[in-house]
Amino acid sequence: MKVIELKSLSKIYNPDTIPVRAINDVSLSVEEGEFTAIVGPSGCGKTTLLNMIGGLDARSEGSVEVGGVSIQDMSESQLTTFRLQHIGFVFQAYNLIPVLTAKENIEFIMVLQNMDAKTMQERSDDLLDRMGIKDQRDRRPSELSGGQQQRVAVARALASRPKFVLADEPTANLDSGSTEALLDIMAKLNEEENITFIFSTHDQRVIDRAKRVIMLEDGVIVSDEHR
Amino acid sequence: MILSLAWKNIWRSKRRSFVVMSAVAIGVWSIIFMVSFYNSMMGAISRNSLQHDYSHIQIHHEGYLSDPGLDFQVKNPSKLLEFHSQISDIKAVSGRLIVNGMVASPKTNLGIQVYAIDPADEAAVTNLPSFLIAGDYFTNIKRNPILLSQKLAEKLKVKVRSKVVITVQDLEVNIRAGAFRVSGIFHSKSPRINNGVVYLRHQDLSKLINSTDTSFNEFAYLLKDNESLIQTKKKMEMKTKNLVRTYREIAPEFDMIEEGSAISKQVITVIVMLALLFGIINTMLMAVLERTKEIGMLRAIGMFKRKIFLMIVLETFMISLVSAPVGLIAGFLTNVYFEKNGGMDLSQYAGALEQYGGDAIFYPEIAQSTYFFLMLVVIITALMGAIYPAIKAVNLKPLEAIRKV
Ligand SMILES: Nc1ncnc2c1ncn2[C@@H]1O[C@H](COP(=O)(O)OP(=O)(O)OP(=O)(O)O)[C@@H](O)[C@H]1O
Ligand SMILES: [Mg+2]
Repeated sequence: MKVIELKSLSKIYNPDTIPVRAINDVSLSVEEGEFTAIVGPSGCGKTTLLNMIGGLDARSEGSVEVGGVSIQDMSESQLTTFRLQHIGFVFQAYNLIPVLTAKENIEFIMVLQNMDAKTMQERSDDLLDRMGIKDQRDRRPSELSGGQQQRVAVARALASRPKFVLADEPTANLDSGSTEALLDIMAKLNEEENITFIFSTHDQRVIDRAKRVIMLEDGVIVSDEHR
Repeated sequence: MILSLAWKNIWRSKRRSFVVMSAVAIGVWSIIFMVSFYNSMMGAISRNSLQHDYSHIQIHHEGYLSDPGLDFQVKNPSKLLEFHSQISDIKAVSGRLIVNGMVASPKTNLGIQVYAIDPADEAAVTNLPSFLIAGDYFTNIKRNPILLSQKLAEKLKVKVRSKVVITVQDLEVNIRAGAFRVSGIFHSKSPRINNGVVYLRHQDLSKLINSTDTSFNEFAYLLKDNESLIQTKKKMEMKTKNLVRTYREIAPEFDMIEEGSAISKQVITVIVMLALLFGIINTMLMAVLERTKEIGMLRAIGMFKRKIFLMIVLETFMISLVSAPVGLIAGFLTNVYFEKNGGMDLSQYAGALEQYGGDAIFYPEIAQSTYFFLMLVVIITALMGAIYPAIKAVNLKPLEAIRKV
């Protein structure tokens, strides 16, 4: 099943002054269960592409369909609902609310979804367990390592039962050990639970773990390799 | 969850929150203190001039107002003296014959108003004997006793038992002079009386000007309480053809004092609240701007604008409101303290206060409703302080979060 379908997608920044074509006529589809890396040199348009898929940034040309629904013409509040219900986000940093504990951070998104308290409890406990951060459940982000913080972020992204998880350079701030650990968990979730991950990265070790690698250069797909 | 998140957020910058909270508490306290202080001062001024000068109700001939003197005497005075047996709200009455005149001592002479009174009646209405600081109340001198204020006595350089000469005009506009002896020297709470009123016995003045014992041009009534003022006035009006006026009608300054109290209360409140408002806005703006990335992230993962708005409003409310009760209680306790401990003694400034007819000891006065009013004002201030930062927060772009660190 297709979870993402991009057709002739373009993004032009500053169209009125000094136009920058950050994404140029990209067509692409992502199937459920993929473990896909978007790679390429700095400034090639990875973040721009992920933002358009995630409904965080408007496209300039073309269309974005997620789960069979076009999102390009949605209103701001429709997009908010869409992001909340269907997409899990993991950012490079500032993923977590500093005053909440790991467990509370995971539960926060379920509160936004109005999930009932019992399901919420069970789900957050289960996710903490699977991320291997059960013992850190009552710690605040500042008391967690970078790797642990990113694992909480992945747990938070999954807690909302999204169609897929978008992760923009999730390991950029991590050392190699933590990078490995995070990738192990993501790969395992992908293998065992068929969770779709789309992530951007610079890191060759991360690229090596991907099952599909899409290479961007100057906003254009230069290669798309399934492994 | 948003409630508890907001609560946790306000403790992120403890010092900053503490500053706002203290400012609110101190602001609220200072309003209570200033308003109580002001009320106390103004209350004393109006009470003093009500109790010791104007009394609740006065009766005159309607012509007296434009031509105060002997020509317009109260009509049917004996009937007015009986009022208090007919109108139950009246506590006491004093009939006066008031004439302008001069008082002379060997040193100097001064223009004054002569109040010819019945000592017992006047005592019952204005409590005049309580202000004596030397001599006594008409009893130590057999013939022609007079009471002078301390101020006049000093100007005239006279003491108890000194002789002074009173000069007045009689009904036929003849000049009459009589020798009086100082029976007592008083210091009233009314600046007007201190500055130029002397008291004689009614019969002594009558003799001097060849008038009768039943000639009066003013009746002053003390009521049992202020509540029945208008009602009593109406009852009196039905029974007499004379002019009946309440102290408010006689002296417009009572209304001015009350209005002034209300206005100054508002001015104090507005000034303090404006200061707090800017403090709150400033603090909350800082709190929002510091969290640009975090708020962007919350928007990105799917938190609605209205929830972000709510979160910031709640934070502002909490930070502004938790300490308001502290200020209210502190204000209340300050007032209780001064009440229990004999008031706030400002005798140092008694001179200035007395000029306006105030008291040297302050008993804080504040209406209960002021506490509720203040709580409401703080809530409104918090709401106003919340709006701008909350709008700022809502308008942050979710993209901010994912952009470069
Ligand atoms: N808000 C913006 N306004 C104008 N130009 C922008 C904006 N955001 C990105 N760009 C430009 O668009 C291009 C793509 O940027 P983008 O951030 O998507 O690259 P990236 O592949 O994510 O880079 P990196 O690996 O450094 O994160 C770049 O040339 C960048 O300068
Ligand atoms: Mg990027």
